[in-house]
Amino acid sequence: MGLNSFKRALWVFHLNTGSCNGCDIEIVAALTPRYDLERFGIVLVGSPRHADVLLVTGPVTRQMESRLKRVYEQTPDPKLVIVVGSCGIEGGVFYESYNLVGPVDQFIPVDVYVPGCPPRPEAIIEAVVKAWVKLEKGAEEKVA
Amino acid sequence: MVSLTYWSPIALIIALLVLLAITFIFRSRGEERYKKGTAQTQIFLAGEEPPEPEKRHVRAHHMYWGFFQALKRYYEPTINAHTGIVNDYLIWFTSLAALTALIVFVAGLL
Repeated sequence: MGLNSFKRALWVFHLNTGSCNGCDIEIVAALTPRYDLERFGIVLVGSPRHADVLLVTGPVTRQMESRLKRVYEQTPDPKLVIVVGSCGIEGGVFYESYNLVGPVDQFIPVDVYVPGCPPRPEAIIEAVVKAWVKLEKGAEEKVA
Repeated sequence: MVSLTYWSPIALIIALLVLLAITFIFRSRGEERYKKGTAQTQIFLAGEEPPEPEKRHVRAHHMYWGFFQALKRYYEPTINAHTGIVNDYLIWFTSLAALTALIVFVAGLL
């Protein structure tokens, strides 16, 4: 499948909603020269207002619930959400914690799940590519 | 005939029009995907709720409390005019520039 309709580089905003930093380190690893995500134009940006994709790590803590929703609302459409790591998917090792309010998809719609504790950089890259293809399909439908 | 010198109102009006055109070009090249009236057009403060525009600035006027107290009747309306919103300042600037240009233009005709 060609990537012709979504005519720009994919910009990603990384949001940690309570992660232990394991997944965050793997995301950073995906940007290192070994994997070098940036050669495809995929870059991490500092504001959700510039992003096409939200990369969410960690279970949602009580303090981060409103922040997660606000960051999602501040991301311009079309947008996609990728949850990286088991914690964001179903709570992971923290699932019984008093301070959690639930997995990410209870608060915002999630498009791609990347299970693992933590997932390998290859899995994160594959998820970003899937998200890109989904955005491309959306852009193609818009063009058609 | 008004010559096109530095203080010529025509030159000022042309400069104003050029500035407006540049502003319009910059604005038209902005992000089109933002939906107006939603959180997408709010400033991003690490996920925090953005405060009111008037409360986003560090205030330095506490150092001059005595001056403000003594000249309260002068300062109160002046401070109210300084909202901290760039749009308001630009409206003031544009209005006064236009008014000045008009006065200079009319004076030039007399």
